[in-house]
Amino acid sequence: MGTLPSGLPELVADTESLTRFLTQSSHFNSFGAKPSAFLPNPRSRNTSLFRIEKDDGAVRQAWEDYAAGAERVLRGYAVVIASDVRSQSLEIVAEEPPPAHANLENWPWIEDDPELQEGEAKRNRHGDR
Amino acid sequence: MLHPLAGTLTGVSLEARSVRDATRELITSSERSAALFGDKASLLSKLWSLADECGEDDWDGEGGLALDDGAIGAAVSFIRALPTYFPLPEVAPEPDGAVSLDWSVSKTRMFSVSCGSTPRLAFSWLDGTDRGHGVAGFDGWMVPDRVLQGIRSIIGDGHTTFRIA
Repeated sequence: MGTLPSGLPELVADTESLTRFLTQSSHFNSFGAKPSAFLPNPRSRNTSLFRIEKDDGAVRQAWEDYAAGAERVLRGYAVVIASDVRSQSLEIVAEEPPPAHANLENWPWIEDDPELQEGEAKRNRHGDR
Repeated sequence: MLHPLAGTLTGVSLEARSVRDATRELITSSERSAALFGDKASLLSKLWSLADECGEDDWDGEGGLALDDGAIGAAVSFIRALPTYFPLPEVAPEPDGAVSLDWSVSKTRMFSVSCGSTPRLAFSWLDGTDRGHGVAGFDGWMVPDRVLQGIRSIIGDGHTTFRIA
């Protein structure tokens, strides 16, 4: 198994935590992250995540490294476990740089029915925290 | 800032359009009369703020598409069409330019509707271990029964545990 520039293994283990930066306060509420926070980008068809444990300091540091100079503000973060993601038939692909970056891939994509595709994608992400 | 509130639906007869326009004016008047304490008016203000905030591509720094005018129009129409006694959703942007309307009761009970630029609504729900999704047509005036019933089944009849946006 290969090693990435960050020192992390190329393959994401089932037990790893994956952190999604939330820059929209409307993407979470007191119950947790909403499904819309995890929807894939329509162009790349993936969702960007970081392989960071649930730790405020580590998340903040990773955000500062990642978004240095950007105007966006980190409003919160959501953490999912790799095995939970895989149980929804999604794939996790490490992609560096930036360090510890990964993408959620293999989202259902129904070319001729974007609404159905969107509903399915949201259903897949219900319950993430 | 004023935003166009016109719907985006097509394929209706002139008569139907006249009825629609008249009804829309009535609803608008109703909203104005309730402006002092209208939750819908407050929610629509949030929606317009969101439209401004996410009005250009890459609003999320990840290449997200700007919120679509048609999606905003559909969300406005949907919110207006909700029964007056119904709890209102929270609004959120989606990376494809759609608007998400979310009803959350707990970590494991929620209902979400995606308003895009077509006369179809994607919806999904989580109810304990049960979850699902679907698509329903939306004419801009009547919230589809399937969607209303779905929301009602999540938030409960008494709505007592629901957290207003």
